[in-house]
Amino acid sequence: MKFGIGFKLSVLLASFGLLAMGIVGYYSYASSRATLLQATQRDLLTATQVLGQNYQSSVDEVGNDAQFLATVPVTGAAIGSGRGAATRSELNALAQTFEALLKIHPEYFQIRLISADQHGLELVRVDRDGSGLVRVEGLDLQEKAHYPYVFKTLRLKRGQVYLSDISINHELGAHAGVLKPTLRVAAPVFNGGERAAAVVVINIDLNRMFAKLKADLPASYQVYLANQWGDYLVHPDTTQAFGFDQGRRILVQETFESVSSLISGTSTFVVTNVQTPAWSPGGEVAAFLRLPFGGVGEGRFVVLGLSQPMSEVVRETTRVAWNTVQVILVLGCIAVLLAVLVSRAVTGPLRAMAHAVTLFSREQKVSQLGYRQDDELGQLARSLNEMQTTIVANMAEINESRGTLRHLAQHDALTGLPNRTLCDDRVQQALSQAKRDMGRLALIFVDLDDFKSINDTYGHHAGDLLLCSAARRMEGCVRNADTVGRLGGDEFIVLLASIDREQDATLVAGKIREALSQPFDLDGSRLSITCSIGVAIYPEHGADAITLSKSADAAMYLAKEGGGNRVQPVWFGAATPG
Amino acid sequence: MTKSLGLWMFRLTVACTLLLTLAPPVRAQDVLRILTWPGYADADLVKAFEKQFNARVEVTFVSTDDVLRERLGANQGRDFDVVAANTAEISSFIDRKLLLPLRLENIPNIRRQLPRFREVQSIGGIVRKEGVYAIPYTFAEMGLIYDRKQVKQAPTSMAAMWDPQYQGRVLAFDGSTHAFSIASLLLHGKPFHIEDRQFKAVVAHLIALRRNVLTFYTLPEESVDLFRQNGAALLFANYGSQQVKLLRDAGVDVGYVIPDEGALAWLDCWAVSRGVRNQRLAESWINYTLEPQVSGALTKRQGLSNTIEASALTRDTDKLIWLEPAEDDKRRASLWARIISGDAPGRF
Repeated sequence: MKFGIGFKLSVLLASFGLLAMGIVGYYSYASSRATLLQATQRDLLTATQVLGQNYQSSVDEVGNDAQFLATVPVTGAAIGSGRGAATRSELNALAQTFEALLKIHPEYFQIRLISADQHGLELVRVDRDGSGLVRVEGLDLQEKAHYPYVFKTLRLKRGQVYLSDISINHELGAHAGVLKPTLRVAAPVFNGGERAAAVVVINIDLNRMFAKLKADLPASYQVYLANQWGDYLVHPDTTQAFGFDQGRRILVQETFESVSSLISGTSTFVVTNVQTPAWSPGGEVAAFLRLPFGGVGEGRFVVLGLSQPMSEVVRETTRVAWNTVQVILVLGCIAVLLAVLVSRAVTGPLRAMAHAVTLFSREQKVSQLGYRQDDELGQLARSLNEMQTTIVANMAEINESRGTLRHLAQHDALTGLPNRTLCDDRVQQALSQAKRDMGRLALIFVDLDDFKSINDTYGHHAGDLLLCSAARRMEGCVRNADTVGRLGGDEFIVLLASIDREQDATLVAGKIREALSQPFDLDGSRLSITCSIGVAIYPEHGADAITLSKSADAAMYLAKEGGGNRVQPVWFGAATPG
Repeated sequence: MTKSLGLWMFRLTVACTLLLTLAPPVRAQDVLRILTWPGYADADLVKAFEKQFNARVEVTFVSTDDVLRERLGANQGRDFDVVAANTAEISSFIDRKLLLPLRLENIPNIRRQLPRFREVQSIGGIVRKEGVYAIPYTFAEMGLIYDRKQVKQAPTSMAAMWDPQYQGRVLAFDGSTHAFSIASLLLHGKPFHIEDRQFKAVVAHLIALRRNVLTFYTLPEESVDLFRQNGAALLFANYGSQQVKLLRDAGVDVGYVIPDEGALAWLDCWAVSRGVRNQRLAESWINYTLEPQVSGALTKRQGLSNTIEASALTRDTDKLIWLEPAEDDKRRASLWARIISGDAPGRF
């Protein structure tokens, strides 16, 4: 394939333009993607912190409820405040209080009063069951002393609240709470003494609580909660939560590696990305927070996290990318257009010059280039114009010199008559013509008599003038088709290219002798000369130029020997006197 | 410019194609497919085996017995060559005809094993009349941990957990199978085969345990925290030496005993699948795991006891009761759930 400079230049310029824009576009995309990701992470972290505060204040409220229940007189009455066992109506009164609270708080599974004695026997217990509430009584009451929420709460001082680790409730008979993620909040009940006599325990439905907390968040946010070892407690994929409850550990730090710094306590929050967790193809952006809970010095904490699918973030960046692509496309078109225009601007004058040069070399026709800019191309155009003009002038001069040279080579410089060379040529041509036409011609030699003495007497200048005048007079005696030439010195030749009869030749020769015998006026001095003429006829006196010349020459010598001033045809034995 | 770039690309493509074509063909190798637990076939040890036997090893890890059962049984054992499982599972695999008897002459390293493991006849479930089906590889016993400060005289029996002097200072494990086995053992019954008429007494015994313990734990880390925070005196070590190490690392001065009546112990063994492709290679793997550096790595990296070196925590004379399938796991589990939920004795 053959491409012009214009095309190549366009491609090159356009490529540079597109490449530059591509690079700029890519970097602006990458940086805006990073900015978006950072903004998302910052938002997530803020949202996580807010969620954490909400979680803590929710738990605190439950603690206040437990504390309230532990101190109200109706609870004191139910443990029989220093006067033996409580009456049935006292227990019923507390149960009604529990029921009232359960009705207000749908996230409460269960509220109980548990004795410190009798292996932690439940005294009053109300469970949620479906949409209603169930009062558990008699033999259905269970011994709970071996549960931490009992034995740890019993060790607390007045006003303190116990928060359990979050676990699956495996306690049979707990109605709605069975096998549900549960947080237990408990407060000790004192009966005058220093030792707690009972505990009030509220079981909280963790999922319900988080559903409530999550309601304020964008729908695409996912909530994670893990215990202090990293076991998932809340996870978007419910099968991943409470893995330890089925004998397998599913740890947050295995999915989100950087969370291990929260577990170890080296940081209080982390923001991280994961590529492809099984439950979220495309990856997630996540923020995690270490939330202390329980008593001071216990060192217990949970890890709370929020994540957003990368696809959400990517959707934004895809939009940015698409915008960038559009801008690049438009700019790219402009770049291509500019490249074409620029290359046109350069190649247009070049093409005009090429055309002009072609035209000049083919037809020697000068075409003026119109490009007038004062740049390199303008200089080139002007130089080309000057070059054309100079070449044309030089050519004219050369042609003229050549014409002069040719004339000089074939003519006598003094008289302007054809010289010997041209005469020989014409004789040859006339002979050929006569041979073809079966015609005849005459060759006449003319010699001025005693010309040397004129030169000696009147000078060479006068001799030259005489020769010129003689030449003009001889030319006046012949037809246009005939030739009068000077062979050198005072010898002339006259070629009559076509004659009908021999007499025509002698007639012309006679006219010449007559014309030359008239007096010449040379610079004021009159002077008369005579001449000797030899006439030879083709084909009678020679079939070729040499023979014919010899014959004419011989006839002329005869005329000269006969005393001059006469015409001597070849066929006469003697010259005819004038 | 375009043309020369195109030409250059063409040359590159040709060069790459040539390189690929001239590369030596992959030589067919024997493949060994191992189904096992994390830590039993570490990558570096597998690599060394591959080099030594010019074989390729594909390891599949499982994390629960349920998954192990499912994977091995999925294609009548044809998906794997060699499998690691505990004695109870091995016994059930033999019954389901998923395993092949071993050719012990191909596993000379069994000579390195401690006497307890060489006497395979004494290990229930892995020997049948066709021969030996499994080679013990690693084990963990469930002894009793005690706080040396509070317990001056090392206990000699699990009965110490019922001792009123330790009331509220005992940590037991929240698991039905082992709890019933121990209670039955202490009541002089069979640990894995409790008869119907004995259940009532065992349940009562377990309620007594519940009333004597501080609490029940499930995870090893949890047990360590509970032990330290509550001044516990006794701890049933469901996770064995692992918990001893955790407690000692946490700075607690604890002792560890295997009770006279014997400690329950799980024992993981290697066995060859009935669907094995190259039985000799599978047996070579089992032999390889009994090399001192391989078995030693198991102990060093996983804290598990191996079968060729004596453990620092147990003596050869200690009685270990290898786990066997219980008579009725479901029954034990449902009763245990009620016991641990706090049901009063009158409810049973």
